[in-house]
Amino acid sequence: MAPLLKVENLRIELTTRKGVAPVIDDLSFELGAGESISFVGESGCGKSMTALGIMGLLPEKIGRIASGSITFNGEELTTASDKRMRDLRGNEISMIFQEPMTSLNPVYTVGEQIAEVLRAHQGLGRKAAWEQATELLDAVRIPNARGRVGDYPFQMSGGQRQRVMIAIALACKPRILIADEPTTALDVTVQAQIFDLLNDLRRQTGTAIIMITHDMGAVAEMAERMIVMYAGRNAEQGPVEQIIDHPRHPYTRGLISCVPHLMKVLTEERHTLTEVPGIVPSLSEFGRDQCLFASRCPQVTQQCLDKRPPEMAFADDQRSACWHAEDI
Amino acid sequence: MRDSTVDSPLVEVLNLSVRFPVKRGGAFGRTSYLYAVDDVSFDIRRGETLAIVGESGSGKTTTALAVARLVAACDGEVKVAGQDFLKLDDQALRKARARLQFIFQDPYSSLNPRLRAEKIVREPLDSMETVPAADRQGIVDKLFKAVGLHPEQQRLFPHQFSGGQRQRIGIARALATQPELVICDEAVSALDVAVQAQILNLLKALQAEFDLTYLFISHDLGVVQHMCDTIAVMYMGRIVEYADRLSLFNSPKHPYTVALLSAVPSVDKERRAETRRILIPGDPPDPVNLPPGCRFANRCPVAQDICRQTDPALRSLPSGHRVACHLVSEDGTPPLTP
Repeated sequence: MAPLLKVENLRIELTTRKGVAPVIDDLSFELGAGESISFVGESGCGKSMTALGIMGLLPEKIGRIASGSITFNGEELTTASDKRMRDLRGNEISMIFQEPMTSLNPVYTVGEQIAEVLRAHQGLGRKAAWEQATELLDAVRIPNARGRVGDYPFQMSGGQRQRVMIAIALACKPRILIADEPTTALDVTVQAQIFDLLNDLRRQTGTAIIMITHDMGAVAEMAERMIVMYAGRNAEQGPVEQIIDHPRHPYTRGLISCVPHLMKVLTEERHTLTEVPGIVPSLSEFGRDQCLFASRCPQVTQQCLDKRPPEMAFADDQRSACWHAEDI
Repeated sequence: MRDSTVDSPLVEVLNLSVRFPVKRGGAFGRTSYLYAVDDVSFDIRRGETLAIVGESGSGKTTTALAVARLVAACDGEVKVAGQDFLKLDDQALRKARARLQFIFQDPYSSLNPRLRAEKIVREPLDSMETVPAADRQGIVDKLFKAVGLHPEQQRLFPHQFSGGQRQRIGIARALATQPELVICDEAVSALDVAVQAQILNLLKALQAEFDLTYLFISHDLGVVQHMCDTIAVMYMGRIVEYADRLSLFNSPKHPYTVALLSAVPSVDKERRAETRRILIPGDPPDPVNLPPGCRFANRCPVAQDICRQTDPALRSLPSGHRVACHLVSEDGTPPLTP
């Protein structure tokens, strides 16, 4: 079966004062219907840019898709008209953002904001849209939905606002939901509720989820496959469990071991955290014909500095862009 | 015979409360009080780390601010090395503050953008005047080295540093007056994971090198687990559970702690397989009109009538673990397990 979303050799360029930089550099991946995939990596590695590229929301005049293709359900999105993209956004692909505090309009009630989507995309009347907005609030588990639908965003907690965002995103039963750090601003108990909600909705509606995060634990809970991004490139991708058990890229390994995780049983012993020294390279270094992780890598060799590593394939479609992937 | 100053805790906090006035109902409304910190007691032994965890709004930061007298406590005692902080007059307080420093969450807004890095680190020395002016540059040099910055970076301004480097400057500034207690308020929360590891390792190394005592505030239980010796769980201004690191993480007693730990996503396959996630529905009650019983009762999956009627006190279990829950049995059996 053809995948729902297919991204091939995608290159997105940003024009900065210092010149043109490839913020996404030769990225390929597939997403099946109802599948859950996660993008991980530090800030500035291109996770959000990938999402904006898919949504057709790259910053105007600054960002553009330079080459490659994005096909959704067999339809090419990179050449689609603005009108067609507007139709797809919200209807077929929707997105929720990190900041539930700022992504809602403070002067409209949450009911109006959910109903607006239904009226714009599904041509519902005022009353029918309001009715359905109430049902959606109930579906995202806001208690007493009928009483809360007329509330303004400031009357809700952070977790409730994020649920409203999810209700808006799911209003038209999209095939793909992109969640960009959906729980970063929320408490861990609220995060657990949101994850639970997203998983249930995925089961019920068959919506595929692309989640962007920096938390490996969240990836392990939520996704089937993951893509580790570094400096605009795919560092490694494959099944989540397999990558956590046996990462094939030093960056993935660093990301997993630099975080103190809660384990089943805690012991007296505490290791020094593995450090990934340095920081993500600046945009001006993106696109060089070398491994961009080389300056931070403990296993760097001359080869890494001379030539960009190709993707090496392993079992179950685990792929790593590292010259030394086989030895790791 | 053991030296009693080594044995006694560096920080002793007893029945600390902080309240804020809240006016409701317009101009003629009555003023009521919100207890952001309500009867909180803990102590920290020299060279150790106490972590305070809890959701936003639970009173973690207010507790830390009250310890440093950056907000006024309405009741209680805060003793640092035997000296009661809350009773000091302004002049004595200024002097005493040298023993206690803060590391803040946001490395972007906590450094003055107009000052060079060396001046930022030097400022506490100039202000406290604890060392002669001639010696101060030497101390700044040492601090830059200790936090892993190059000497030539002293001349740079904050915007020329990355987030992790800025946090290093903030740490150097905190250590300038040779404090005994360092309060880390979400000190690594704003950093990327790889940089976070660098700063956590640095904090650990500095603790060993300078014999520092940390009050470590964080919402990230993985980080807390790595850093702390003792841990206090706060909920709505109260400490609901207080124990050493291993007993808290391996055998939590309070239903809130159990739910909190179960909510943390983990890469550990065994932990994921064996931890039932306990969802706590709803929101905390209105902090101004608290219910008569336990503050967690309305969200607690195992709450009984007694929980809704009587406020549970923090009591000690035979293991030394302290917990504020009616339903934890005398021998410490928790009412809820993940």
